[in-house]
Amino acid sequence: MGNILEASGLTRTFDQLIAVDDVSFEIAEGETFGLLGPNGAGKTTSISMIAGLLEPDSGRVTVEGVEISTGSTKGKASIGLVPQELAIYPDLTAVENLVFFGRLYGMNREELARRVDEVLDVIGLTDRRDDLTKEFSGGMKRRLNIGIGLLHRPRMLILDEPTVGVDPQSRNAILESVEQLSSEGMAVLYTTHYMEEAERLCDRVAIIDEGAIQAEGTRRELVALVGETDRISIAAEGDLDAASSAAGSMSGVREAVTGDHTIEVLAADASSILPELLGRVSGAGVNIHGVEVIEPNLEAVFLHLTGKALRD
Amino acid sequence: MKILVIAASNVRRMLRDRSNIFFVFIFPIAIILLIGAQFGGGVDPRIGLVVGSDDQLAADIAESIESAEGIETNRFESEAELVETVERGGAQAGVILPNGLSEVAARGDVVEIGFISRPDGSGTQLQSVANAAIAKVMTAVGAAQFAASETDASFEEALSTSRPLAEDGSSIGVEVTAVGEALFPSSMGQFDLGASSQLVLFVFLTAMTGSAALILSRQLGITKRMLSTPTSVSTVIVGESLGRLGQALVQGLYIIGLTFLVFRVDWGDPLGALLLLIAFSAVGAGAGMLMGSIFRNDQQAAGIGVILSIGLAALGGSMLPIELFSPTMKTVAHATPHAWALDGFAELLRREGTALDILPELGVLAAYAVVLLALASWRLKAVITRP
Ligand SMILES: Nc1ncnc2c1ncn2[C@@H]1O[C@H](COP(=O)(O)OP(=O)(O)O)[C@@H](O)[C@H]1O
Ligand SMILES: [Mg+2]
Repeated sequence: MGNILEASGLTRTFDQLIAVDDVSFEIAEGETFGLLGPNGAGKTTSISMIAGLLEPDSGRVTVEGVEISTGSTKGKASIGLVPQELAIYPDLTAVENLVFFGRLYGMNREELARRVDEVLDVIGLTDRRDDLTKEFSGGMKRRLNIGIGLLHRPRMLILDEPTVGVDPQSRNAILESVEQLSSEGMAVLYTTHYMEEAERLCDRVAIIDEGAIQAEGTRRELVALVGETDRISIAAEGDLDAASSAAGSMSGVREAVTGDHTIEVLAADASSILPELLGRVSGAGVNIHGVEVIEPNLEAVFLHLTGKALRD
Repeated sequence: MKILVIAASNVRRMLRDRSNIFFVFIFPIAIILLIGAQFGGGVDPRIGLVVGSDDQLAADIAESIESAEGIETNRFESEAELVETVERGGAQAGVILPNGLSEVAARGDVVEIGFISRPDGSGTQLQSVANAAIAKVMTAVGAAQFAASETDASFEEALSTSRPLAEDGSSIGVEVTAVGEALFPSSMGQFDLGASSQLVLFVFLTAMTGSAALILSRQLGITKRMLSTPTSVSTVIVGESLGRLGQALVQGLYIIGLTFLVFRVDWGDPLGALLLLIAFSAVGAGAGMLMGSIFRNDQQAAGIGVILSIGLAALGGSMLPIELFSPTMKTVAHATPHAWALDGFAELLRREGTALDILPELGVLAAYAVVLLALASWRLKAVITRP
């Protein structure tokens, strides 16, 4: 699978502030790439440069091999940008907003009419299609905001914090449609400061802070990078010390200790050792009541990398 | 055409907004009606009459006034009652026709008829209406006086002969001459003056307050989003400008059309009027775009837009006709596009000019439009591509 997006060495300063500092990454077809970082990390500034809305001080962006720049409309038809703000006309209906931007994306009438219906269906606004968007709830506006970016079936969809200020139901609907689009082969660039969203959606994640990418990879790679491990907590009774020493001698287990009616096991990859681990523990003559696997999350990775929490 | 897509959405959004509908379509017409009413009333002005109870001539004159067109009349018992009614505005003028008028006329003396009016403009107009009605009767009286003095016939006999002649219109005419140059020819309808001055005022006002929509689009990130599509900055700017022009034209054509059809306002040469409207609308669009590129806050822009456009309209002769300005003020007034547009409409309407006769006005307005649109585009380009 080829790369749809290639961004290299993107840098942008505002006066003294280095908002984005040498940011590079690629996104392949069908891949969802996350930019995870707190407010002010430089996510929107990066995206603005990628979408050709902001001139970088240095660096280069290509989408499907076409160089993106602010002075040209070239390559922009390949991108669907869903901006962080709700960039929709409050005094137009959902359909009118879709048609307006569809025309700007250069779609012809018939194609647009068909896509408008499809997109309304995807974002669940078919029954509100002719209502003015100023009457919409925050979640509905968010969904329309996303729908506009999907209309022209872009090769690459860029979503800038698309779930901010959204009710849980709308949020879930949004995440599901991103998963769906990705499975259809769209390359997705997704920024967020919610680590659960990055974990759920993204094939690869770049952790960004103070304008720079601190680490990049799959969740497992990132976790491994900072030496965090999975934790398996086995609730049991019997000879717990014998069971934990049996577990501790297993390959793939880093450490096993006896807790208060539990055995705590640290392992690089819990899922691959779990069956054998449980066999050994019960073989040591204890009754197992329950098992809990706690995988280290990106929050922990972020904390490890930056020394601060993702959300202040 | 993406330019037209952007322009059309602007026009659609103007027509969508309820408060806009009021200010763009209802309010201007209401003001034109109000001004028309002051110039002679949507409701006919009223003349009060006090008529001597047993005097033939008084009764004849009263009847003549009562049958005059375009006025309402009322009879009052006493002069005091009439004066009070006029003072209170219940009638705009009063005519007093006492007993004994016939006697005076029969003697061949000068007949004096009392006329009272309010100190505003309406009195003068009503006086001429009353004069005409009185003249109609008195022409016959004058002829009868002459006949009675020159022949054996009595005044009454002579009058009964002369009256039918007078009413035929075959009698000696009474010539009324106005002193000084007539500012507004009598052929002008009561709404004509108000219509063009309000057209100019409101089209400009709408364009200026319309700048708020441009600012709002920017605040909401819509302008940026437009640039994230394969649409160039210049397409966006031209589209937005054309949208403003479209809004002004929709309003202008509506005002012209409605006042022409319903209130019979004469706009003069249609081509000339259309060209003037387009040129002035382009000036308004340019001014609105410039406002929209200078201000960051939509409320602020709308507020200042209202003040500026009312001020310019007043200075440019939309409130008080420019013909009444001092020479210095006339010169100052021509710093506004309004004055040029109103000059153009005056040329078309009062001097029956054609499109050719208003070329100077069209030229000046076009120059205004070009300068404003160029300034606005330059500013706007900087503003919308700013991070
Ligand atoms: N137009 C701008 N002018 C000046 N500073 C800016 C501008 N846009 C962003 N910044 C600054 O750049 C940094 C990164 O901002 P941004 O990219 O919006 O972060 P994020 O989207 O991750 O929250 C912040 O410190 C922000 O204040
Ligand atoms: Mg942001």
